[in-house]
Amino acid sequence: MYALEVKNLSKNFNGIKAVDDASFIVPEGSVFGLIGRNGAGKTTTIRMMMNIYVPDSGEVILRGTKIGQEFKDKVGYLPEERGLYKKMKVMDTLLFLAELKGKTGKEVERKALNYLKRFDLAERKNSKIEDLSKGNQQKIQFIAAILHDPEFLIFDEPFAGLDPINTDLLKDIILEKKEEGKVIIFSTHLMDFAEKLSDHIAMIDHGKIILQGSLSEIKSEFAQRNVTLEAVGDLSFLDSEAFVEKVENFGNTVAIKVKEASQTQDLLKLLIQNDVKVNKFAANEISLHEIFVTLAGKDSNNGK
Amino acid sequence: MVNRRTFSIVKRELKVKLFSRTFIIMTLLIPIFMLGIMGLQTFLFQYSDGENAFLIVASESQNVLDNIQTELSKMPKNKDGNVEFMFEKLDKQKIETRLNNIRADILEEKITGLIFISDQALKNKQVEYFSKNPNNNILLNKIKPPINKVLTDMYFVGKQLSREELEFAKDDVDFNGFRISADKEIKEEGIGNTILSFLFTFLLYMSLLFTGQMTMSAVIEEKSNKIVEVLLSSVSSRELMTGKIIGTAITALVQMAIWLSPLIILISTTWFVLPPEFTLKLSIWHLLFFMLNYFIALITFLGLFATVGSIFDNPQDAQSGIWPIMMLIIIPFFIAIGMQTNPENQIARIASFVPFASLIIMPARITLVDIPLLQLVLSIIINIAVMILIFILAGKIYRVGILITGKKPKWSEVVKWFKYNY
Repeated sequence: MYALEVKNLSKNFNGIKAVDDASFIVPEGSVFGLIGRNGAGKTTTIRMMMNIYVPDSGEVILRGTKIGQEFKDKVGYLPEERGLYKKMKVMDTLLFLAELKGKTGKEVERKALNYLKRFDLAERKNSKIEDLSKGNQQKIQFIAAILHDPEFLIFDEPFAGLDPINTDLLKDIILEKKEEGKVIIFSTHLMDFAEKLSDHIAMIDHGKIILQGSLSEIKSEFAQRNVTLEAVGDLSFLDSEAFVEKVENFGNTVAIKVKEASQTQDLLKLLIQNDVKVNKFAANEISLHEIFVTLAGKDSNNGK
Repeated sequence: MVNRRTFSIVKRELKVKLFSRTFIIMTLLIPIFMLGIMGLQTFLFQYSDGENAFLIVASESQNVLDNIQTELSKMPKNKDGNVEFMFEKLDKQKIETRLNNIRADILEEKITGLIFISDQALKNKQVEYFSKNPNNNILLNKIKPPINKVLTDMYFVGKQLSREELEFAKDDVDFNGFRISADKEIKEEGIGNTILSFLFTFLLYMSLLFTGQMTMSAVIEEKSNKIVEVLLSSVSSRELMTGKIIGTAITALVQMAIWLSPLIILISTTWFVLPPEFTLKLSIWHLLFFMLNYFIALITFLGLFATVGSIFDNPQDAQSGIWPIMMLIIIPFFIAIGMQTNPENQIARIASFVPFASLIIMPARITLVDIPLLQLVLSIIINIAVMILIFILAGKIYRVGILITGKKPKWSEVVKWFKYNY
């Protein structure tokens, strides 16, 4: 069963389609990246998943049942625009936000203190939020998001505005929660982060999901399986190789398409074994960034 | 509507508002401010009273002058301001010349003015007063009685009237008010209830404006602080709004109870005895009605103020949105204050059933006159209905408004929010 299933979500604002029939699947135990440029519909989608916006149509299914208010208790949410009560004390803030999720008592306080210790903020627990540096305020926001031990973490553009130290800290939290088997959903327009952290993605553009699935599958699908070769020697043996899909000879260069991207290495090995003198061998594994540009770029060329 | 999450919000509001230094300061400050305004009024009144004046009393007849001089010398000497007189005999034709003589002195206020009592005045009591400021009623009210006495006395001289008859003729009519109410006992009415109704009106006005503004800026702060979306990941916008309003309303009710506690002690114990002219006609039910009415007023107006707060993301922009709501408080306030002279005037009667206005006018009216129970119940029903309506509408705008930042929205856009399926 999937942890979360987003089915045909749509949302209009003043006649403008912010999210248009978006569907995707978040598997159990995955780190899920919702990728798209600014204004693509990421925040609107996430707000609908959080039950902050009511969708015009469609639904979000949590392990078989439609989400409602109780879902919010299971989620640690870090919105893109995030803040805290400036005049409230650190510990009071953490306990208040945990209380809203239904967690109260000594246990929460102990946990909060542990997190504060871990983030070097233990001695600031009675400081007012406004007396903390921006970086430290961000740390409090992280703690607030995970203090109630949520099953789901939903982070909207979590790395926006973070310094390198907090970026690493947040990455650690995400990985730690992944180890614990929690489901982590985050949106970003930063492809490198998505590529490094997530194992499943959905790509959103102009409110539409243009691609989704396991990252490794997507990459292998989109990896350039074409190799451009400049070589001296007989290449006729390639025709009988099972993993070679197509060979096209252009005279000076030969274009070879293998069945799977990883087989380019086998191709290179084979060429050397067959005493072909390789002058140029060009094969690239495609990056998420390139996939995005290919898809979203193509999209805009279509006059969308 | 009220659940665990709302309760948590209420708890935080109470912690921030009720158990704060601001609460203590405001609870003390508002009565001080109120007394200050009343005191200032009295001070200004008395200050002008305390001015020294120098008057020339002129008459065509020496006899009049002598009598007036005797009468004026009986005037009490104020330590904060004296009126000094100079008496001179003057013919009617020479007034102009005389005035030309002293014009410079009058303009420089060395001479306050000239009172001319012609022989005619002995028949028609028409006295002429020449001054830079001929409308100084405080001064005139001081010197009118002695002059009136002299003119009256002189008029009746030789008319065979006894001293008592003369005294009677000079006396003003004195109205003693008795209130007729449902309970058969007829009581002499003091000014206690007039003061009380002024107090109720003023307290309602001040505290609704203060708590309203505070709620509004708290909502704006949450919005501009960006904490609102963090909160919405745990609670719904309606739970958030309900919690905030209930928390603030409880705080305001406690504050009002503190302010009214002297009254409760006054009517429920015999520790203090008021002089008869200040006697209050007030029961504990009356105060309970006041508190219930205040609670409805709070929920209604705080809903409106919170809505305005949610529409704008900075206090400057919010000022433009707050005016219509302020009017809903200020106009009834003036009607209620004006009503003190005649609590049964038609405007006050009608306004005490008009939504919003009723919340401020009814408590003042019930303090001044007996209102049939049916009318009270009707006003409460109207007010509760309006409160529920406002709460529903406010919620619709609030849930959209708090998530919209950036450009200041147009009113036409805000109207569309009602229909949004957020």
